[in-house]
Amino acid sequence: MKSILRIKSHLKTRLKELKQEKEKGRKIIGYTPGGYFPEELALAAGAVPVCMIRGGDHSAVDASVTYIDRWLDTFYRAQIGYGTSNEDPYYNIIDILFIPVTDNNNRALSDVLSYHTGIEIFNFGIPHTKNESAHEFYLHGIKRVKRKIEEFTGVEITKNHLNDAIHLCNKERELLKKISLIRKSHPSPISSKDFVMINHASMIIDKNDLVKNLELLVDELQNKEIEDKKQPRILLTGSTLALGDHKILSLIGESGGEVVFEEFAEGIKPYLFKVKTNGDQMEALSEAYFIDRIVPAWFRPGSERLDHLIQLAKDFSVKGVIWYQLLYREAYKIESYYFPEILKKEVGIPMLTLESDYDPSETGQMRTRIETYIDSIGR
Amino acid sequence: MALKSKIVAGIDIGAATAKAVILNESKIIASHVIPTGESVKKAAESVMKQTLDKEGLSMNDISYKIATGYGRRAVSFADEVITEISCHAKGVNMLMPDAQTVIDIGGQDSKVIEISKDGNIGNFVMNDKCAAGTGRFLEVMARVLDSNINEIGSISLNGNEPCQISNTCTVFAESEMVTLRAEGETRENIFAGIHSAMAHRVVIMGNTVGFKKSVVFTGGVARNIGMKKFLQERVGMEIFVPEKPQIIGALGAAIVARNKI
Repeated sequence: MKSILRIKSHLKTRLKELKQEKEKGRKIIGYTPGGYFPEELALAAGAVPVCMIRGGDHSAVDASVTYIDRWLDTFYRAQIGYGTSNEDPYYNIIDILFIPVTDNNNRALSDVLSYHTGIEIFNFGIPHTKNESAHEFYLHGIKRVKRKIEEFTGVEITKNHLNDAIHLCNKERELLKKISLIRKSHPSPISSKDFVMINHASMIIDKNDLVKNLELLVDELQNKEIEDKKQPRILLTGSTLALGDHKILSLIGESGGEVVFEEFAEGIKPYLFKVKTNGDQMEALSEAYFIDRIVPAWFRPGSERLDHLIQLAKDFSVKGVIWYQLLYREAYKIESYYFPEILKKEVGIPMLTLESDYDPSETGQMRTRIETYIDSIGR
Repeated sequence: MALKSKIVAGIDIGAATAKAVILNESKIIASHVIPTGESVKKAAESVMKQTLDKEGLSMNDISYKIATGYGRRAVSFADEVITEISCHAKGVNMLMPDAQTVIDIGGQDSKVIEISKDGNIGNFVMNDKCAAGTGRFLEVMARVLDSNINEIGSISLNGNEPCQISNTCTVFAESEMVTLRAEGETRENIFAGIHSAMAHRVVIMGNTVGFKKSVVFTGGVARNIGMKKFLQERVGMEIFVPEKPQIIGALGAAIVARNKI
């Protein structure tokens, strides 16, 4: 599909483009994934938001050992590896890094980068419950983010500019949602690899360009003829699905499974919600980004996300759920022990739990587990 | 020709040994086990050839070949590959249709597999990449204590007071052995402790799948009588070991191959 090729090539040349933008005087605003940083605020100040979403690289994980112990989430250890290397093009190009502090893992990233590098860091805390005072706390946090961006860029975020940014991001989310939900049909016209790629791209490339290509993609998908390979449909969920972490999707594909939905706190930008365009803008942002989105596993109670997974499994009529998490992300690990029983009871399907440290040596066993699982659900 | 077309083969290339089974309808007509050695590809060719030679057959006589085991993808002559977990379930199901649980301990993996009523896999669990709870662990311990791997199982049966072994990590356990020996512990008690600790680890892992009657023990380590005893104690029920526990994976592969023709 033309649109997919264009987005892919845009992703490849984005770094060059970012350098040009920077030379023109635009600020490049980095943020960590998890869906708690409203990109609208950076866009409204004329800055370029870029998510630190790359991973899958064991050498970066290894390099982190100099700065932090091993008992930390693999993705954040990789970020520490990239960030402290002085050679990483993305960490080198950002002017500031916003970290919505969700748990100890990205707090460690914040501490290590603050202490060992010259990267300017701005933290804001994310509460772990959805109640009124938590909502107020989050709203307060993104107001601080807004002030910081204004101060940092020297540009006042006007109502009009923020309105434009909200509309643009809403358009992007709406298109991602439309494309994703097409996958309820059998067979799905878009592969998970492609969907994950466009979702990752939405955190890195220019949004106006992306929106055009996503519109084209919707057309292309509607006219696409697809052969039904009758592969078992799979819901893929877990903590983080980073750009460059190809192993899991490749192994599932090679083993004859078809991923039809991805639910990840980090690595898949939340796209099911929409920011209201009437009323107070900051309140609308906080309502969408904090209340409307599905919670990650570290929230209390965690049932909202698990209920969502059950609903997804039913809506997308999957035959299996693959739980792919990174090493030492306890909030997910805890749930991975009891969720299979809930899933079995509610939907009647088994779950496969996999854990990765981005280590190439784990591939063989992971393949054996996935092949066996797909073989057992595929009948 | 009509007869020969019913001959199929399963080849199981494990971390320690390579196995092949030739099946004619439901009858095992030949099987063979060799060490895998350094080349997985060569081991596959060699074990296949030696198994064929037993019955004076050639590769052309085999109508379908399925490879399994960790080296399955390196078996260039296979028509298809399947994981060893599926194959162990199939193999056990053919030999013992009422079996519901398989404990498979090989050279580098240990697995507990639930067989559903239809003979397929219900659920399974597999050890992490470390050598704890595998045949490799026993090999290293046998070497440290200067004993023959084929004898340590029966030696362990003579331990009256199994030592408390706190480490099932191969590296740490090695130094623990050195300490125990220095303290004058008997070989019997040390081996009893090693087998007991390893059985404990496998059973803890398998508890997520559960142990339901009948439980069958397969893989190279199933030839170890001490392991069987300590697993029985931990699981609390009788465990059955097939006559040739090492070839069950290859047998399962051959059964799937038979169903393909």
